[in-house]
Amino acid sequence: MVSAGETAVKLMGVAKRYADIVAVDYVDLDVRHGEILGLLGPNGSGKSTTLKMILGLIKPDSGSVNVLSINAEDDPVAVKRKVGYVPESPRLYEFLTGLEYLDFVGDIYGLDASEKKARIEEYLEAMELEGREGDMISSYSEGMKQKIALISAFLHKPRLLLLDEPLSGLDPRSARIVKDLLRKLTAQGVTTIMSTHILEIAQAMCDRIAIMYEGRLLALGNMKELRQKARLPGSDLEDIFLKLTGTEDIREVVEALLK
Amino acid sequence: MNWKNVLRLVSVDVKSGRLIRGQRLRRYRERRIFQYLLYGGACVLGIMVGLGAGIFYTAVPDPELKTLFDQGARYLFLSLPTMVLILSLVFTMMGQIQRAGVRSSIQPPYWLPITWEEHTLASTLAHLIGVPLAFIILLSSFIATFSIFLKELPLATLAIFALLASAFLASTTTEIFRVLQVRLIGAVYKSSGKAAVWVRFLGSLLFLIAFYVVWFSLTSGGSSIVLIKMVASAQQAVWFVPYVWLGAALASFMNGLLAQTVIFSLASLLFILVLFYVAVKLNTRFGLYEPPAITVSRGAYVPRVGFLGKLGFSSLEAAVIRKDFKAFTRRRELMYIFIMPIVFILMPLMQYSGMLGRPVEMEPSRFLLAWILLAPGAIMVVMLGLMIIGEEGGSVWLFFSSPITARSLVKCKYAFVTIFSCIVTLVCGVIGILVARPSLDIAIALLIESMLLIFALGVVSLGAGIRGADFTEVPRPRMVRPLTAFVYTILCLVLALAIFSPLLLHAVTMEYIPIPVSLPKIDLYVAVSISAVIALVVTFVFYRIALKNAEEFLLKAEI
Repeated sequence: MVSAGETAVKLMGVAKRYADIVAVDYVDLDVRHGEILGLLGPNGSGKSTTLKMILGLIKPDSGSVNVLSINAEDDPVAVKRKVGYVPESPRLYEFLTGLEYLDFVGDIYGLDASEKKARIEEYLEAMELEGREGDMISSYSEGMKQKIALISAFLHKPRLLLLDEPLSGLDPRSARIVKDLLRKLTAQGVTTIMSTHILEIAQAMCDRIAIMYEGRLLALGNMKELRQKARLPGSDLEDIFLKLTGTEDIREVVEALLK
Repeated sequence: MNWKNVLRLVSVDVKSGRLIRGQRLRRYRERRIFQYLLYGGACVLGIMVGLGAGIFYTAVPDPELKTLFDQGARYLFLSLPTMVLILSLVFTMMGQIQRAGVRSSIQPPYWLPITWEEHTLASTLAHLIGVPLAFIILLSSFIATFSIFLKELPLATLAIFALLASAFLASTTTEIFRVLQVRLIGAVYKSSGKAAVWVRFLGSLLFLIAFYVVWFSLTSGGSSIVLIKMVASAQQAVWFVPYVWLGAALASFMNGLLAQTVIFSLASLLFILVLFYVAVKLNTRFGLYEPPAITVSRGAYVPRVGFLGKLGFSSLEAAVIRKDFKAFTRRRELMYIFIMPIVFILMPLMQYSGMLGRPVEMEPSRFLLAWILLAPGAIMVVMLGLMIIGEEGGSVWLFFSSPITARSLVKCKYAFVTIFSCIVTLVCGVIGILVARPSLDIAIALLIESMLLIFALGVVSLGAGIRGADFTEVPRPRMVRPLTAFVYTILCLVLALAIFSPLLLHAVTMEYIPIPVSLPKIDLYVAVSISAVIALVVTFVFYRIALKNAEEFLLKAEI
């Protein structure tokens, strides 16, 4: 039994390059059990690559990734059994119905029939997809597809959730449901690492925030620690983010656009 | 109409080919020299064939033969517009079927200031880009060159114009078909409810069979000549059908009927304009039409405990097999796989029954039986094996993120391709046995041989399908890298021959295949046993390779 505060995910000197592009630049990161860690950063800052390396989808060029006491490189299948993952813009099997897709995912994770049925029905109701579960996914809106992807990540009760922009495409009500669900899962000891562009979401939901920029980890901590690091007492996450990433002076850009 | 917009839209469609050509997409630089290689090659080939035919025509000393040649060439010129129409229809419609699964391939960017006329014209022209246009260039350059020797330059000029108009006519028809099928199929789904999946499956199957039969009839050797003659004479009989007016205009010109030539040409032009107008109107009405949702299941959800579990498959493996079955019966771009075995039975049977313009054979041969029993299953397993991983497309992330092992991946995919191909073989076997009525020994031997081919070639092609998987989906799903598919298809052919060689040797020694020397006889069951040993060795070796490929595939999940 692990207790809150112990390390769930440990990245040590992890780096990844794609030809001449540095996607992740020697990142060290400890994620504690039962916390929600937000990965924050502009486009191309290495958030998605970091998440994929934690899951073992991408092999780091150097460094090591330890997930729930398992080395992701040594036993990626064992890691995947314990992790729920939602990629950025998930592609689902559009020829299946929502129900068939979830049934398929439940079987992939080896859930028994009664458990699978109970969980699928529970989540479909929670995500307000009842009545559409028998339709082919090809007719779903982007938000509905995102809900199906989220349910498929929650279905097998993972101990670690890796969510890449989990609230993208969701309406405010559904977004609220997902936020509440994540908080409840956190209370049950589930660790969540989520990437987001939306600073308000990160500030409202995450216990700690890791700010990434050009593959590097610029800062890590809760709001208080980030304010101290940025030397911006009383400021919000937007100001901290812009200062730490060195992109605070956007006035020139706006003026150039208005010309 | 803004012509620049039309050209811009066509060029967007042409550029979508970059994704399937698999060129380096970062720091992309267009290499225009290669872009036009296809058309340049077609033009050069057409000129060379035209020159060859012309030189041969001039060298013919016999005036009777020359007249015959002259007449043949005229027949060809006359039938070409209708032939090009049919071929362009086949090409453009096949292109549409391949793109069926991709909504975004050439979606009208409706938020941009582009009119439906511009979009429809661009879409119509874009259908012709690639192989159809190369084919038209080849024919046109051939006609132009050959007509110099025939001294028929005015007829050739008119024929080339007719070719271009025919291709446009076909493409406009395809555009109308494309819009209509979205609307009509949507309406059918709406009314057929739960049965929509099967309505779509059977409807697409019938449509594809019809098209492939036309295609094979056109491209199968001697029957083309029969068709040219038939088309040339038939278009005079059905002059009231607007699609043959271009050919009728040519026939009138050849017979010196100037007034009729002008009438048919103007009528053709009017028909093209009417069709284009209809296409524009349909696009305006249904261009952004979203087909209704297909409801497959209603009522309470009851998880199925399938019989696959009883066969030794884990829940994960059984789930993948069930998912693949649904993919091949629900995804229109994958349905063409079912056509191959049907066509491979239909074609020899049509040939046997004299439907392709050949004399009817008195007795179905052993080769016909062997072909029907062995070919469909073997071809099916190779095709399925090569595409079974790549067909996952962008959804493959689920495989990479789920706890699937290499062994499970190979097991469930191998099971799917072999089970499916065995069913095909059994169905084809029943038809073959009913038609050819072989002895029990021969029938059993061929069925065993077919199963051996399926199990051996299945694992060879699966290994290749894993190694060469291509998840590109736009503008059409590619599924496997062309070079891998080519190399492994050749390898499968060689291995199939190796597995089948003992039975071939049996056929030779039993003098089913006549040879000048007499060889000691090889017993049928000995031959089948040797085949089985070869197949087992192939299966074992390539299973290890497939497993290794799967391990690498799951580790290198950098999509």
